[in-house]
Amino acid sequence: MKRTLIALLAAVAWLPAAEPPKKIFPYAYKQEDLANGLRLVTIPTDYPNLVSLFIVVQTGSRNEVEAGKSGFAHLFEHLMFRGTKETSPEKYQNFIKTAGAAQNAYTTDDYTAYHSTFSKEDLPQILSLEADRFQHLDYSPDMFKTETLAVLGEYNKNSANPMSKMFEVLRARAFQEHTYRHTTMGFLKDIQDFPNEYEYSRQFFDRYYRPEYTTIIVAGDVDAKQVRALVDKDWSGWKRGSYKAPISAEPPQEGPRTGEVKWATATLPWVLVAYRAPAFSDTQNDAAALDALSYLAFSPSSDLYQKLVIQEQKVDAFGAQSGDHVDPYLFSIFARVKKVPDMEVVNQAVLATVKQFSDTPVDAAKLERVKENLRYSFALSLNNSEAIAGTVARFVALKRSAETINRVYDLYASLTPADVQRVAKQYLTERNRTTVTLTGAAAVSK
Amino acid sequence: MKTLTALFCLCVSALAAPASVLLPGKSPLVTFRFVFLTGAASDPADKPGLANLTCETLSLSGTRQMTYKQILDALFPMAVQTQSYTDKQMMTFTAETHVDNLEKFYAIFKAMLLEPGWREEDFRRVKDDQINALKVSLRGNNDEELGKEELYSLIYTGHPFGHENLGTVSSLEKLTLDDVKAFYKAQLTKGTLIIGLAGGYPADFPARVEKDFSVLTKAVPFQPVLSQIPPIDGNKLTIIQKDTRSVAYSLGFPLDVKRGDADFPALLLVQSYFGQHRESGGRLFQRMRELRGLNYGDYDYIEYFPNGMFTFEPSPNLARKQQIFQIWIRPVEVPTAAFSLKLAMFELDKLVKNGISEEEFQRTRSFISKQVNLLTKTKSGELGYAIDSAFYGMGDYNATIKKALATLTREQVNAAIRKHLRADNLQIVAVAKDAEGLKAKLLSANPSPMTYNSPKDQAVMAEDKTVESWNLRIKNVNIVPVDQVFQ
Repeated sequence: MKRTLIALLAAVAWLPAAEPPKKIFPYAYKQEDLANGLRLVTIPTDYPNLVSLFIVVQTGSRNEVEAGKSGFAHLFEHLMFRGTKETSPEKYQNFIKTAGAAQNAYTTDDYTAYHSTFSKEDLPQILSLEADRFQHLDYSPDMFKTETLAVLGEYNKNSANPMSKMFEVLRARAFQEHTYRHTTMGFLKDIQDFPNEYEYSRQFFDRYYRPEYTTIIVAGDVDAKQVRALVDKDWSGWKRGSYKAPISAEPPQEGPRTGEVKWATATLPWVLVAYRAPAFSDTQNDAAALDALSYLAFSPSSDLYQKLVIQEQKVDAFGAQSGDHVDPYLFSIFARVKKVPDMEVVNQAVLATVKQFSDTPVDAAKLERVKENLRYSFALSLNNSEAIAGTVARFVALKRSAETINRVYDLYASLTPADVQRVAKQYLTERNRTTVTLTGAAAVSK
Repeated sequence: MKTLTALFCLCVSALAAPASVLLPGKSPLVTFRFVFLTGAASDPADKPGLANLTCETLSLSGTRQMTYKQILDALFPMAVQTQSYTDKQMMTFTAETHVDNLEKFYAIFKAMLLEPGWREEDFRRVKDDQINALKVSLRGNNDEELGKEELYSLIYTGHPFGHENLGTVSSLEKLTLDDVKAFYKAQLTKGTLIIGLAGGYPADFPARVEKDFSVLTKAVPFQPVLSQIPPIDGNKLTIIQKDTRSVAYSLGFPLDVKRGDADFPALLLVQSYFGQHRESGGRLFQRMRELRGLNYGDYDYIEYFPNGMFTFEPSPNLARKQQIFQIWIRPVEVPTAAFSLKLAMFELDKLVKNGISEEEFQRTRSFISKQVNLLTKTKSGELGYAIDSAFYGMGDYNATIKKALATLTREQVNAAIRKHLRADNLQIVAVAKDAEGLKAKLLSANPSPMTYNSPKDQAVMAEDKTVESWNLRIKNVNIVPVDQVFQ
């Protein structure tokens, strides 16, 4: 344990402001490619005994290009647990269980991540089992049909939350061509049609579950050379593919759009104001500047939060997000409003704040506080190997490189008030805006 | 200073100074976990929700010196988020800061707990938030958690654990800032506080904190007597009626085993075998989701585990002197709702009658012996578990569990199943739109035939025949409109 803590101290010792950091990501990692295009990132972390493995496939709901086939990337996350010729699902489960591995997976718009955390001695066998399923997944039409029902079950459990519906409507209004038009879950009618799409599912696997789409991240009590040898042994025979998804670019938005959700049961109303935003970049600072703006204008320390949540108490949940995406996505501001008549007041307050950031450069000292927050948030988040691997996975999914982390934090560090004002003017315009409101059937609101 | 070893028989008393659980290290991060041994079980009978409202008022308001806005501004560059939560017997305030900001953060944290601002406008906002947490977040937006929480309320009817931690809407609406102040003064005392610190704090820091918090009153707080839990006579069904797509279930009964008891490791193994939380290896998950595609997942619990849909690992500092055994069936489609409940009851019955096989015993033991390490993978988790171990009067959690598992036998596990688990006299809670329709199906002597979208093998079809006609033996049914739950 001592070794761990000393190493960690050294790793993040730059944080005091006196010594500006060279790199935000404090771990010496190794990033290398196999001949087939598979990428490996190994991060020895000095947290003892445990290893965290993330396998990132750069395929998410963004890749679901055919009409009627939304939700397949997520369905695949489920199917990947359905076994191979060599390893039945039972055998796979039994090994994972014996290893005491905590294992799961998640799917986003841009990628699917399979992750597990376990004792270091189980790494060889887990890497080998994973290699088998990524290369030789083999599920029967019957198994396929059963698994599609589990996905419907997932839709059902999500459906109790009005936020899911609101974002479903937002995407369908904000995008007409791009696949960000649908959520990761997919349209309900497509989910209900899954059982008839076995053949397409095989095609989907054949297209995307290929080494050139995949990065293996191993973090924890590991040695990079040994990990490379294990990966070479089991993964180098994986054949490179050739498929490139024809993802349509979204044409420019020509004017404001609106959407409305009527929720069947009692709930508080929501106002969601979204703007078309740039793609994630580690070289160009537009997305980074919008991130900073989200903190300056809409975080708990912003003036608008103070007004709406603390002083006037019109709103009980408030914030903004500009989730990093491979292609241009949305910058969203959301507010849960306590009384229906205040919805428009809140909407106008958001618009006024947006205008203010477009008209006036932000106070430089406030921007420095945001930079400080970003640096400390990052340091606080790296408190175990799983969190470290998970953070790297998020960036690898976007640019396929762990170095992206350092680059994007360099962009944050170099932001100026003029940058923030420029992106507000450029992106947060009436023309780029989609507003969605949600109201409950019976008034919970007073 | 009372450190961890001295805490093994921790009990609430008029201690001269707060107790401390310390995990010093050289990490640049410092974790705070301050736990008061009070909670919803100490709510006055006519003021359910007061403990939680007190906790949230302290955590989300200004201090004497600073407004809430000033606090948010000060915490922002440090990227520190304080979290607070209240359970039946514990009230927790936790945060993690970089050691660079330790003094600045501690000054605010200390003032939040020792010098509350008690401003009416803060109180009004926090009270609104708690009412909306009940009305909107729980009743409106989360059928699964709603069912689980109602299950606890029903099992503990007439008992100090018998109301939701948040309270009731009607009670919250009446609570005043004076109520909160009174609860704070009576219950958040020196004798109830455990100071938890971990990470790279200076050597003299704990003594300073302990001295600072010695200003809390010496009063002996009200601690409820945990009476006998009322027996459940036959299977009782409550259906919460709500306009929703599917049907969510929770079912269970009181358990006479808690952490630190001799049979706890055996039941921990059973819990993992039968339905390890959010893992696909559990028996229920395998039979209900993997084999039959009935829903998204099915799990079981021997300790309170809220917010399971948002988290993979249990939160520490929800320790309770009494627990229940619970099965969570995630939402199922309406046509298979009756079959799904019958299947869960059928599996529970089999578990109770047959126990677990040697092979499953070995595999599950191996799983927990390693998986237990993951619970304390962060300093905050390690600190939380250490505090809970003090509460339960046991040694280090990981070491104790691993040691007990090493000598545990299948016979002991099966004996524990026979002794503590049962497949009858349960409380069952369903959340459904067509409550009358579901009631009729669950009470009917007719089978609930199951059909699939793909062929199943003979063994499954044969088992389905048994399950379809499984007698749920429901003795009482109560249908409750959702707006009356926790009202």
